[in-house]
Amino acid sequence: MDTIKIDLNDPYYYQQWQKLIEEEGLYIENLDDITETIGIYDEDKLIATGSYFNNVLKYLAIDPKYQGGNVFNKLVSYLISDLASQNIFHVFVFTKTQYQSSFEYLGFKMVAQSRFSTLLETGDYSIDQYISELPKVSGNNISAIVMNANPFTLGHRYLVEEASKKSDVVYVFVVSQNASLFKTSERIELVKAGTKDLNNVVVVAGGDYMVSFVTFPSYFIKSRSDVVTYQTELDAQVFKRIAEALNITKRFVGEEPYSPTTEIYNQSLKKILIPEIVLEVLERKAVGGDIISATKVRQAISEDNLEVIRKYVPETTFDFIKTNLKDLLRRINNGN
Amino acid sequence: MEIKHTALAGTLESSDVQITLSEGKGISIDLDSQVEKQFGKQIKKVVTDLLAKYEISDVKVHVVDKGALDCTIKARLIAAIQRATDTQNEQNWGVLE
Repeated sequence: MDTIKIDLNDPYYYQQWQKLIEEEGLYIENLDDITETIGIYDEDKLIATGSYFNNVLKYLAIDPKYQGGNVFNKLVSYLISDLASQNIFHVFVFTKTQYQSSFEYLGFKMVAQSRFSTLLETGDYSIDQYISELPKVSGNNISAIVMNANPFTLGHRYLVEEASKKSDVVYVFVVSQNASLFKTSERIELVKAGTKDLNNVVVVAGGDYMVSFVTFPSYFIKSRSDVVTYQTELDAQVFKRIAEALNITKRFVGEEPYSPTTEIYNQSLKKILIPEIVLEVLERKAVGGDIISATKVRQAISEDNLEVIRKYVPETTFDFIKTNLKDLLRRINNGN
Repeated sequence: MEIKHTALAGTLESSDVQITLSEGKGISIDLDSQVEKQFGKQIKKVVTDLLAKYEISDVKVHVVDKGALDCTIKARLIAAIQRATDTQNEQNWGVLE
C-alpha cells in the first residue's frame, strides 16, 4: 500500500476521491477549505483518503473493505506527520460521535461533544492548557460576552457596559478570525482600549477555542438542514466547558432580529447552557433610530466616510481607523 | 539540554509509537496505550531514563503507543529529542548502550 499526496485539481484524482467520499456518505463542501489531501492506494485503487485545512483534519474516508484495520491509523498518522513537518502540532478533528473512540485510540482527547458530533484535539496544546492560562477572578456573579468586534463599536460598548453593571466580573472573549477586516490582535486591542475604564471587565483572546462557528466543517452532516444547528450546538458546548471552569454563570448576547442564523445560535446557546449558565439577550443600541453594527462601520470605511464612522464607534476605535484608513482600504481592495 | 520547540517522531501504526515533545515545567508524561496496565510503568521508565541521559528536566511528553518494543520507543524518543533540541547533526552515541 502506498500513501501519496493527491491533487484534487487534477480530474483523474478528483473523480476517485469524489467517488470514495460520496460512497462513505460524506458531503463535499468548498474545495477551497482544503490545504492538502492524501490518498492510500492498494495497487491503483484509492482505498482511503484524508485532508486537512490549517490544523483541522477533514474528509477522512476509508473503503469499507479496509475499515477496522491498520488503514485508519496509517491515514491519521500520515496527516499528523505531514502537519508536524510544517511545525503544526496542535491538531483538531470534528467527527461523528460514533468515531470518537477511534480517534481517542490514537491519542486524541475530547474538547466538546453534541448530539451531532464530537470535537477532538491532539498535540502540544489543549483546552485545559488554554483554560489554565486565562486570568482567574473571584465573585458570585461572573458573566461572559463573546464578540468578534470587527471593529469594536458603541454597540459592543453598550453590551459590555450593561454586563459590567449587572455582574461582579465580565469576561469578554474576542473571537479569533484572521479573515476579518481587522486582525485578531487589532480587534483585541480595540476592545481593551474601549473598555479600559470598566474595572470589572477582563478582555481575553478566544484562541483556538472561541472561533466563528461557521468555520466548523460539516462534510459529515448528512441532513444539510441540520448544519447550523450542529455548528451552533457544538460551539455552545465548547463555550460551556470553558465557562464552567471559570465559574461563569451568565452569558450576554446582543439581539439580532434580522439574522436567522444568529437566532438559531441564540436558541442553541439557551438549550445547551441552561441550567448552569443563563443567557441574557440585550436589545441592540441605536443612535437616532439607527441600529449600530460593525457591518455599517466597515461599509463606511470602504466609502472612506469618517463622519459616518464617528457616529458608530468610540473614540479609541475612531482614532485607530483614522490613523490606519489607507491600510484598511487597501485590505478591502485586496478582498479581505 | 533544553527543549527549544515542539517536535514529533514516530507513527500511529501497529508496533510503533508516536512521541511529541514540547516545552514544559518539570517532566510530565501523558501516555496513551492499550497496554498501559501491563506495560505503562515500563514505557514511562524507558522515557524518563533516556530523558535523564540527555539531561532534559523540563519537557511535556505525549506518548501514543501502538505496542512498540522498548528499542522502538528509544529510537523514536531520540529522534524527537534531536528535533526538539535542534541537534539532528550531533549524534550522542553515549546514550546508546
